[in-house]
Parts: sequence; C-alpha cells; structure tokens
Amino acid sequence: MTTILKLNKYLVLFAMLLLVSSCNDYLNEPQENLIYTRDIDYTDTQNMIMPLIGAYADFQSRGWEDIPLIAVRGDDVNAGGLGDQQDYAETDKFKYNKDYWMYNSAWLGLYSDVVGINSAIGQIEQYKQYAANKSLADQYISEAKVLRGFLLLQLSRVWGSVFIPAFSGPVDNTLYTKQQVMEHIIAQMDEAIPNLPDLHPKQRSDIRGGVTRYTALAVKAIANLELKNYQGVADATSQIISSQKFSLEPDFYKLFKIHGKLSNENILEIQYSDFGKGTGDNISHLFAFYGPQNWTPKVAQSGSGWGFFEPSLKYIKFMLDRNETVRLETSVLFTNRGIAEIQKDSKYATLPTFVSNTTRSGDRINDYPRALFASGKHYLPSEELTPGRTDYGTNKNYIVIRYAEILLMHAEALTRGASSSAMTADAAVNLVRARAGLTPLNNVTSAQVMDEKYAELAMEWGIRFYDMVRLERYSDLSYEGRTFNADLIYLPYPQAQVDQIPALKEKK
Amino acid sequence: MKKLFFLFSFILSVTIISAQQRTAVSGKVTDKSNLGLPGVTILEKGTQNGTITDFDGNYSLQVSPQATLVFSFVGFQSVEQEIAGRSVINIVLQETTLDLDEVIVVGYGTLTVKDLTSSITTVKNEELVKTPSGQAMQALQGKVAGLQVVSSGAPGASPTVRVRGIGSYPGRNAESPLYVVDGMFFNSIDFINPSDIATISVLKDASAAAIYGVRAANGVILIETKSGSYNQKSEIMYEGYYGMQIAQNVLKMANAEQYTNMALESGSAADASYILNAMQRYGRSRVNPNVPDVNTDWYKEILRPASIQNHGLSFSGGSETATYSIGVNYFGQEGILDMKNEYERFNIRSKVDFKANDWLTIGGNMIFSNAMNYGAQNSAWEQAYFAVPILPVYDEENIAATPVRYASAKNMGYRGSQNPMPTMDYNFNRLKNRKLIANVYAQIDIIPKKLDFKSTYNHSFSALNERNVGLPYTIDDLSGRPLATINKSMSVYSEQSWDNILTFSNTADRHRYTVMAGTSFRDDAYEGLWASGIDFPWQNEESWYIGQAVTKPEDGVGDGGMRQYGFSYLGRISYSYNDRYLAYATFRADGSSKYQEKWGYFPTVGLGWVLSEENFMRDSKLFDYLKLRASWGQLGNDKLPASDGASTTSVVYTAIDDERIAGHKTEDSFSWLKWEMTEETNVGITARMAKSRLSVDADYYIRDTKNAVIGVAIPFTRITVMRNAGVFRNSGFELALNWTDNLANGLGYSLGANIATLKNEVRDLYGQPYLDGGQAEFRQRTIVGSSLLAFFGYETLGVYQNQAEIDADPIAKANNLVPGDFRYKDQNNDQKIDDDDRVVLGSYFPDFTYGFNGGLTYKNFELSVSTFGQMGNKILNRKRGEIIWTNDLNMDADLAKNRWHGEGTSNKYPSSAGLRKGWNQKMSDYFVEDGSFFRIQNVQLAYNLKNVTLTGVKLPDSRISFTAERPLTMFKYNGFNPEVANGIDRQTYPIPAVYTVGLNVKF
Repeated sequence: MTTILKLNKYLVLFAMLLLVSSCNDYLNEPQENLIYTRDIDYTDTQNMIMPLIGAYADFQSRGWEDIPLIAVRGDDVNAGGLGDQQDYAETDKFKYNKDYWMYNSAWLGLYSDVVGINSAIGQIEQYKQYAANKSLADQYISEAKVLRGFLLLQLSRVWGSVFIPAFSGPVDNTLYTKQQVMEHIIAQMDEAIPNLPDLHPKQRSDIRGGVTRYTALAVKAIANLELKNYQGVADATSQIISSQKFSLEPDFYKLFKIHGKLSNENILEIQYSDFGKGTGDNISHLFAFYGPQNWTPKVAQSGSGWGFFEPSLKYIKFMLDRNETVRLETSVLFTNRGIAEIQKDSKYATLPTFVSNTTRSGDRINDYPRALFASGKHYLPSEELTPGRTDYGTNKNYIVIRYAEILLMHAEALTRGASSSAMTADAAVNLVRARAGLTPLNNVTSAQVMDEKYAELAMEWGIRFYDMVRLERYSDLSYEGRTFNADLIYLPYPQAQVDQIPALKEKK
Repeated sequence: MKKLFFLFSFILSVTIISAQQRTAVSGKVTDKSNLGLPGVTILEKGTQNGTITDFDGNYSLQVSPQATLVFSFVGFQSVEQEIAGRSVINIVLQETTLDLDEVIVVGYGTLTVKDLTSSITTVKNEELVKTPSGQAMQALQGKVAGLQVVSSGAPGASPTVRVRGIGSYPGRNAESPLYVVDGMFFNSIDFINPSDIATISVLKDASAAAIYGVRAANGVILIETKSGSYNQKSEIMYEGYYGMQIAQNVLKMANAEQYTNMALESGSAADASYILNAMQRYGRSRVNPNVPDVNTDWYKEILRPASIQNHGLSFSGGSETATYSIGVNYFGQEGILDMKNEYERFNIRSKVDFKANDWLTIGGNMIFSNAMNYGAQNSAWEQAYFAVPILPVYDEENIAATPVRYASAKNMGYRGSQNPMPTMDYNFNRLKNRKLIANVYAQIDIIPKKLDFKSTYNHSFSALNERNVGLPYTIDDLSGRPLATINKSMSVYSEQSWDNILTFSNTADRHRYTVMAGTSFRDDAYEGLWASGIDFPWQNEESWYIGQAVTKPEDGVGDGGMRQYGFSYLGRISYSYNDRYLAYATFRADGSSKYQEKWGYFPTVGLGWVLSEENFMRDSKLFDYLKLRASWGQLGNDKLPASDGASTTSVVYTAIDDERIAGHKTEDSFSWLKWEMTEETNVGITARMAKSRLSVDADYYIRDTKNAVIGVAIPFTRITVMRNAGVFRNSGFELALNWTDNLANGLGYSLGANIATLKNEVRDLYGQPYLDGGQAEFRQRTIVGSSLLAFFGYETLGVYQNQAEIDADPIAKANNLVPGDFRYKDQNNDQKIDDDDRVVLGSYFPDFTYGFNGGLTYKNFELSVSTFGQMGNKILNRKRGEIIWTNDLNMDADLAKNRWHGEGTSNKYPSSAGLRKGWNQKMSDYFVEDGSFFRIQNVQLAYNLKNVTLTGVKLPDSRISFTAERPLTMFKYNGFNPEVANGIDRQTYPIPAVYTVGLNVKF
C-alpha cells in the first residue's frame, strides 16, 4: 500500500513537471489590436487611396491654435484682450515669448502633418509598385505634395528659416532660408502639376473638393509672391484664370456660410461635416475660438464662442471710410460696446444700419469682456446649424485659398510689372469690387490693389500681415499702440524645439 | 548509529520520568480577551513530556512536582511557570506583536522575523478593522513608514498607494505597487473586505520584493486572507458597524457681501451690471442694501451626511485533517455628494485545506465580489466652488429651466449657468464590478518536514459593466442637455497563473537553511466593447438601452483586447548560522510576451548580523536583540504599455463632401520598450530593548530606476515615443518604534511612532534637460536634479503697495503695473520678468511623513488613538487658477477677505482688479501652496463583554466599539482637504470624517 502511495506521489510530481515545461512557447505571441504596417498587403491596390485619405485627414485635423497664431499679427485682426492666453495677446502686440505653449504647439501641428504626409507618400509608393495604373499613384503622391507644400509655406511665413523634412528618413539638421523653402515649394508644385487632374476641385468624383492642378498653381503663386517674383505669380494665376473653371460666389455673405461649401470660388478648403444629422458623428473645427463670447442666438441652445479673434478698429474704420457694405457686414460681428467705441470718433457718429449687434441672420451679439468685435467670416448663423447641433460654427468648412485671392494676386503682380494675357489688373480688381457692390476702377495702382486685398481678405490666414511684411510697410503694422520693425517679422523658435534640435540651438 | 543513540536516550528518559513521582496539573489557557486557546503546546521543561490544549483551551498533564511548564503557541509569547505545588494553572498568553519567532509570509514561502535581512512591515487584522472603510489599504495610512497612502473620499475608490516614492514617470498608471492576495497578483484590492484579511505585509526593499521580479519595482504588498486552523473549535462570528460620514474642513467661500465687494472692486463694468441684475431679479439684502438678497452657500447645497455600514458573518474551524473559513459580507457606503452616489459590495468567500493522506494536502480558496458603484459627477465640486453666492438654487421665474426651475446665472448676465444642481440630478454613472478569484493547490510532502512540492493554479476573472446616462434638462435658453445620452462599456479580464514550487528546509547543527525553486506561468487577457446612444425614452430606467436610442454614433463604438503571457523561474536561499549570521538571496527570471526583449533577470542578496548573539554583546544591558541588515537587489516594473516594436497603421476618418471617409495613417515612429529596472540598496537595524518592550526598526535606502520609461519627443512630430531612457532616484530614511508593556491590575499600554523621509530626484532624461508636463498655464516640469513633475513658475516677493514702489522698480514700470499687483523675483537679474525667471516651486511628494499611535487596555476596555502627518508637499490650487479663463466667478473667503485693497492690506494676494490681470495670473507660488497637514487618524474605544450571563443564559462574547476616523485634520492649504494624489486640486472628492458604532459577536 505504502509503495503504491509513494509511486503515485512521484507520478503526480512527474506529470506536473512535464506540464510546466510546455509553457514557454507563448512568449512570442504578438500584441493584440494593432495593425503592423509591415502586414499591409500592398498588392491590394484598391487600398492605395487609404494613405491619401489619411493625408487629407491630417491636413483637416488642424489644431485650433495653428491658424490664429499664423494670422493674428496683422492690422486686420486683434487677439481680444482680457482673460486667458495672455501671451497670444502679447504676440498680437509683437511681444514674443519663446516658451509660450502655442508656438510649440503650432510648430508641431504643422510639422507633424508634414511628416505624416511624407509617410503617406511612402505608403502610396509601396502600392505603386503593384498598381496597374501608375499614373493614379503619381496623382495621389502629387496631391499629398501640394498639401505638404502649403503647410511648409505657413511654417516659413511664421518662422522664416525652417527645416524641410525629407520624404523618407530622418529630418536633416539643416535650416533652409525662407527663399530656399519657397523655391523648394515651387519645384514641388512644378513636379506635381502634370500629374494632377485638370478639374475644379468640386468636379472631382473620387475626392470631391480635393487637390487639383489649380490648387498646386495657387500654392505656387503664393510662394512666388513671397519671393516677390511677380512674373512667377502672374504666370501661375494666369493659368488658373484662363482655365475658366473658377468664379466668384455672387453673395459674399453666403460664401462664408454653409452655402459656401465647395463653392465655385474655392480652390482649397478644409472640409468639415456633421453629415446632416443632429446628433452623432461630427468632424469639425473649433470655430468657437473665433466666435463672440456672449450672444443670444436665434436658435436657442446654440453655443457661443471664445472671443479670441477680434477685427481691429483700424480695419473697421478703413472699411467705413470706403463705404464698404457687404464685405464689412460679412467680416465683422458688432457688439454694442464695440459700436460705442467706433462712435467715440465723431467722424463715425452715424453708422450704416447694418452696423448692428444683430446679424442679418437674426443672432444678437451681446457685450463680453474679452473683445469689442468678433470675426464674421468664421461665424455660422445659428439658424444654419443642423437642428440638434449646438457647437459654434460646426459643419462649416474652413476656406483656405479662394479665387478672389488669385485675382488680387494677379492684379498686384501686374501692377508691379509682370505681364499676362489672361486678364488685366483692372479687370481682376473690378471683378472683386463688383461682387462687393463697389464701382469699377481704372488703371489700378499697387496701392489700390493692396487696399482691395485688405478689404477683401481680412481675417483670412494672415494674408494682410504677410503682405505688409513683404512690402516692408511696417508703419501699417504699427497701429493701435503697437510698434513693428524688421526684427519682429518671425516668431522665435519654440524653446522646446530649441532644446531638442541642434541646428536651432546653434542658430541661437 | 546516531539515531539509535537518540532512541535509546529517549526510552531511557521516559523510563526515568515514569519512575519518578507524578503529580497532575490542569488548567485553561486563554488569550487576553479570555478566550480559550486551542492547540497550545505545554511541555515539561527539559523533557519530551507534554500535551496540547483542547478546543476550549483546557489541558491536563502528569508532571514531576518540581517541574516547570512551558506554554507556547504560534503568535503568542511563551510563558514558563513553576508548578510550585499547584494543581490548577490557568495561563493568559500575550500575543507577540514583537516576537522575533513570528512567522511571516515572504512570497512563495514563509520566514521567521529573526531570519529576515530585509525590510518588511506586517499589519494584522485587528489593526485593519479599526478603520471603517471598504478599502483595506486605507487602514495603513500613517502606520507603515515609507508607505504613502493618499485617501480618496469617493465611495468605493481605492486610495493611492506608493511604496518608497515613485520610480516610474507619473500619470501612466505604472506607479502602483503589486498586490499579492493569497498568491494571486492584482493591481488593486478594492474587491476585498478588510475584515477578511488576516495580515497585510508591505515588502519595502529589494531583498524582500525581488522574488516578484518584473512586477516588484513599485513595492509589493502581500495579503493573506483568513483561514481556519487544524484542531480549532468551530467559530461563528458576526462583525459589523454602522456610521455616518461628515464632510470635514468644508472650504469657506466668499459670501454674497464679500463676493459683491470683489466684483465691484474689479473695475469691470460688466461684473457690476451682473450684481445690479441680481438685485433687480432677487431683491436687495435688508442688512446691506447694496448686496443682492441671495446668499447661497453652494457647498452646503451639494453636501450631505452619508451612511457607511459593514456586516459580515464568518465561520471557521478545523479538524485534525481539515480546516475551513467561509464567510459572507456586505459593505455599503453613500457618498457625501448629494446625488446618486453610492457603493455597495457583497462578498462571499471560502478557504479550505484538507490533508488527503500523509503526503498530500489539497486545498482551495474562492472569493466572489459583487460591487455596484454609482460614481459622483465630479464636476459638481468645481461648479459649487465657482457658482456665485448671489445665485439662488431655485428660481421660479426661470421658466426656461426644465424639469426643475433651477436658477441660472445666465439670467444675471454671466456667461455660464453655474448652478451645480442639474449636474447632480441628471447624471447616473453606474459601474458593476464582479470579480471571482479562485485557486486550488496540491502540496506533496516528498520528505516529511523537509522537502515539499506545491502546485497552485489561480484564476482571477472580472467583469466590469459601466453605464453612464445623462438625462435631458434645460436650465436656460442656452444651456442644458437637449437629448438623453447613454454610454456603455463592458470589459472582461481573465488572469491565470500556475505556480510550481519546491521547498527544502533543514536544520543541521548550527546551520539552518531553506532552499526554494519554482516556476510560474501567467496568462493575462482583456476584452472590452463599448458603444453609445443619443435620444432614448429616458423616463423609465428599463428603457436605458442603446438599442432604444434614435442615434448610435459610429465614432462611439469601439473595442479593445489584450493577451499577454509570462513565464518565470524563481528561487530563494535563506541561511542562518548559529542564529548569528544570516544570508538571503533570491533570483527570478521573467519571460514576457509584452516586449521584444523577452527575458529579464532580477537577483537580490541580503546579509544579516545578529550582534546580540555575539559574545561581546551577550551581556549588553541595552539590547535584548540587535541585528544589522543590508540588502541589494534589482527589480522590474512592467506595468508600462506593451512595446509596439514596429511601425503601426491606424484607421482615421475625414469628411469629404459631407461623407465620413476612412483612410490610413502610418506612424513611422514607434515605441521600443522593455520593463523598467530598479536597483535598490537598503541598510537597516532591528533591535529589541528594555526587556523586549521596545522594538526598533530603522532603514535607509537608495532606489534607482535605471531605465525609466520616459517620453522622448520625436522632433517635428507631436509624438513622444516611449523609451527606457530616464534615471530616477528615490532615497529615504525610515524609523519605526514600538513600546508595549503590561502593568499590574490589568492595565496595558502601547506606544508607537514611525517617521519616513523621501527624496525624489530625476538624474537623467536621455540627455533632454527637462520634460514638460501638466497644463501649459500651470506648468509642471521634470528637470534633471529636481523631482518628478515639479511645479514650475515664478516666485512672488509680495505685492506692490504704493505708486512709489512701482516707480522705484523698472520692471513694474515696464509692465505698467499698479499697486495691488504681484512683485516677482527677477531670478536672473536681467531687469525683466520673463519665462527665464521661472524656478521649481515644489513637488507634490511629501518629503517627511510621521505617525504616532497609542493604545491602552484596562480590564474590558480598550482605547486606541493614531495620528498621521506629512510635510513638504505642495498642492496646486487649480480652483483659484480657473480665474485665468473665467474671471467673474466666486472665490474662497480667505482670498476675498485678504485681498489687497489699499496700502498695507495684503502682501500675499493681489487686488480684485489685479486677480484678473495676466501679470498676476502667471504660474507662481501664489497658486502653489503648502500641503502639510497633521491629522488625528483614528480614535477607537471598545468594550469587551465576556462571560456575561443574563437571567441565567450565557451571552455570547461580544465587543462593542465606537470609532472616530479622521475626526480632526489641521492644515493651512486653502482647499477642502490636503490629500490630493497628484497635487492638482481641481475637483478632488473631499475626504469626510467617519463616526461609527461597531459590534462583534462570537458564537
């Protein structure tokens, strides 16, 4: 009996040891719930569009601070004064803080998308080797390059000398001057243009509103403008104009509302959507940043904004002096406090009736401490919100480049000596003026074009600021207590980046 | 030959004894509460003659008339008694809290205290149950030097526990210690009923914890649940308490008059108009007609006294071949936030051991915990802080408010509705947490008493169902929730392990040693699924289902999953020579599927020298026992995320022509990680002095995380990838003193004290000078040479008092400052205040903690008091910081009263107008306050009812107790409570005082 028991004992022991030794193989199991890039099947070329959509998603998911930081320093717009984000307000006054989080965040926001788009290009190239239609792959790559070019352009406008991340491999530790960056962008656009569809973006069937040949031309024109290569500007804009695919949206007010989505006028826009439903999925931008902090919306429960983007008194008076109507009404939301501020100047004691704290869409803008005015171009009337949605401005698109800017760049280039057979400077300016309800001009001067740009493109992407910097019209930027000089053109590199990137450290 | 000699001498001695005259002795052995102790060994000194007590503690024995009896029992102090002619000897044994022969668990085995070379603190059940809490770890607050416990006031929430600082970058859920419950691994022990725990042992140093290898670096806390004992009379026990939780140190907010004053002094026309609107809407105060006739104390509105109760019934006992311990327990706790905020837990458990035959013991352990938690809507805390006192709770004229006519501050002109009541009324956050843990084991005695083999299979299975429902309401034309919302998630966790352990122990001559070797296999899996719905019939809870919702957003649907395997080899040697020299070593090799590098190796060694056993110390009057200890070891932390190890691609969505279109986003940067390795050196002493009445344990440690996982920013991307690249150090000194004595007349007392210091230091960050953390406006920075996530900002030097001071200071002039603004320290003396003038303002880690406790027993009365305090930690008063964004809200009374409002009125706070200026809103030491506090942690008075008969019927032995938990906390911080785990006080759930009445009855 004892022997049997003993035998059992060792049998049990032996069985257990045997089991234990079989457990080791599990250590090589892969992680769950991940797609490893190496596992992607590039022979399935139907998916070649996926990385491109990813690039559009990157471009669209703009952080709310990116564009305001790019745009706030012009004499068209102020930061709004009281409250938080003091260093944003200081930036508007040309007092820069290298440690301010917004600088770093905007830098990273723009660069991470450049790097993301580079990786999308790498992915499309992987598919390309198996693709039957190689030119489609080239088109996709070219679309991504245009988006990337636009982002690089913004980076260089804000910081001057910047890095150009290569399409593959690590970023080389070289700072390129603004001139070099613009030349790079122009070369990139030239590479891309032949591969891109000859369509208005809204005519595209695969990616409606996506990049076409004209988007690339527009980016190329802006890069040439930065270089003061006015013939280059005229050549690019001429091609856009001659295509006759673009026209101005007749109603300026509606251009910046739901009506303006994929308008004939838009050459590049960031698309957002609530998909027409009152609840659920919503891909949107934080338009609240631009909106008034206090309002009584026509549709109850509609959310107000944050009040961080205030049209300047200078701009409003400039517009009143010109007897502007629809453009002023569209660009500015007035509060009673703001109206009183305008009227302090006896010259403006009587104001046109549209200068009212109630918009034509029936929303009443109440006084709020941060600012006197809010941006009208970023305003979506509460009645245009999809019922059920309450976020300020949601479902609106963000217009990036529009035909009016092309016409005015074209006109400016011609007045500065460039030549074109596509359209005269007078014709271009008068197209824009006509839509604004203004009388035509003859023999327009550069100064008149610049005024027209100011009136037309205020609050849009800092176009005014970069024009003034390019033309060295620093006195225009020295307004309402500010003083601007050439040393203040570029923001300091974000300290967090300086601490990380040797080339920035050396430059310091 | 030797054996023969033994046998011979044994027979001889028995013969000799039996030849002598014998006398009978009998009696009863009891513990100090007069309960019979079964199984006590009674030996006639110097002989093999002896017996053990029966179930009731009775014994009888034949001994020689000159004999001395030795009574001994595990966990009690041995007692020697000369018979001296007596025939009845009743003995009361004292428990040996200080006893060096006490056996404690050390992970995959046990060890006696005297053989320890490491730092382990054990807390027993009777200490744990003094704290009325659902969370056992709460009871350890202030009791264990080097263990930081940060309470949480929310019902059902576990306290934050840190063993010897933080060795991993905070905020990744990777700092908490490992809990080992009866051999099973857990991240939290929120499912255990504290009174079911027999002991909690905190393994503090590397030498103690290293046997847990890759899971040990944050410290290990071993929990043994209660079990029965062999030959134990069956015992039925009721344990319960009922009590109330009362909010303590409720922060005083500015009242209507103070608030009105601040608003008017701010110089803002808008704010003045809101006050006017309030007076028009609600009338003027009769006391001060310039103040609206509303004075709401919002904290009073949202707080309530809340009940707490615990009831448990347990059965335990054992025969010669089996032991059992089974029980049921109910714990219920309401939250002090006046909404559906409560926690209930129902537990059942059983533990059995069975000696199947002379070589095989089998057993099993099962705990089922069924908890339901209605979580607080924590934003209510913040809203109550900010809501202006001139806003009433209700406003019958506010017809836009549905379904209840709550008042909205928007009606006075304010930006937000402010009223916290809808937040509490219309949110229901339910979490069901059901957990089953089960294990079975078989132990084979290969060589009896020497070599055994134990195989244990454990499975812990949890199902978490979370349902958060928001009901529709409006509070004014602009705010509310138009449609009902529901979010649901279900997760299942399954964690299995299989341990096989071989243990050999032997004593030969002066050598005593134990050798253990084993393997452990782990299989951890998780699966989760979640979805949400909008707009469903919400009137009845039966219809709170996503299926009933009109909209089910696509981006609200998701799932997750994880499966990880581990395999480990482990071993331990502990050796004692002549009880004088001790050596201890463990080794663990951990293999894991989580990382590309599969295997980690974690060794430790410990040495001990018992000086009191040396000849030169033998006659020491000072020390009864003195041991020097030193240990070194390496530990791992694998709580970090798994390493991706290669580029990954994820699905993203964008809008194209009002369609939601999917795309791919490929990340070329990826994490490449392994576990963190911590190396720790510990030196300490253990001493017993003054006839063993005083015990001293002191330790000094240095604990270096050699390859801490930190975010390494990839330039040009928002991505910070995780890399093993940081070096963090925690070091500190710990001292625990305990004095126990029994005086005549049934009076006994004990005194204890413990202190601990902690220094947390960052030593390397992969060459990066710092890592930024926290919110940009309230920067926390991890800087080499400073502590993790230290608060970082400006140092204030007071407030400018008059224009002369402004004029004299170029900085003040350059920034257009006025009297009532802060004066900041120009750290670099460049006559400018800019970001380069920021400095470290302090850390949220306390650098000194201390606890005192005392106990007094007199006859049937017991009184105990414990206190706890900490010093040196800072709290970011983030509530005050909110003024950066919205400057017309309420503020605390201290700020309102002590604001600068004229020369000499304050050098601490700016003026009301100044509070709203960017200059004064910079992150500075104005926002970062001292978090030191001292607290009376626990006071308990108990009365033991024993052998009481009522009308001839013997009543069961009972114990009645009155407990005050945290009745008094003293601190300077301008907040509700100074216990804030991460140092950022924004909407921390306040920690209430608890008063309970308890009853234990033993049948």
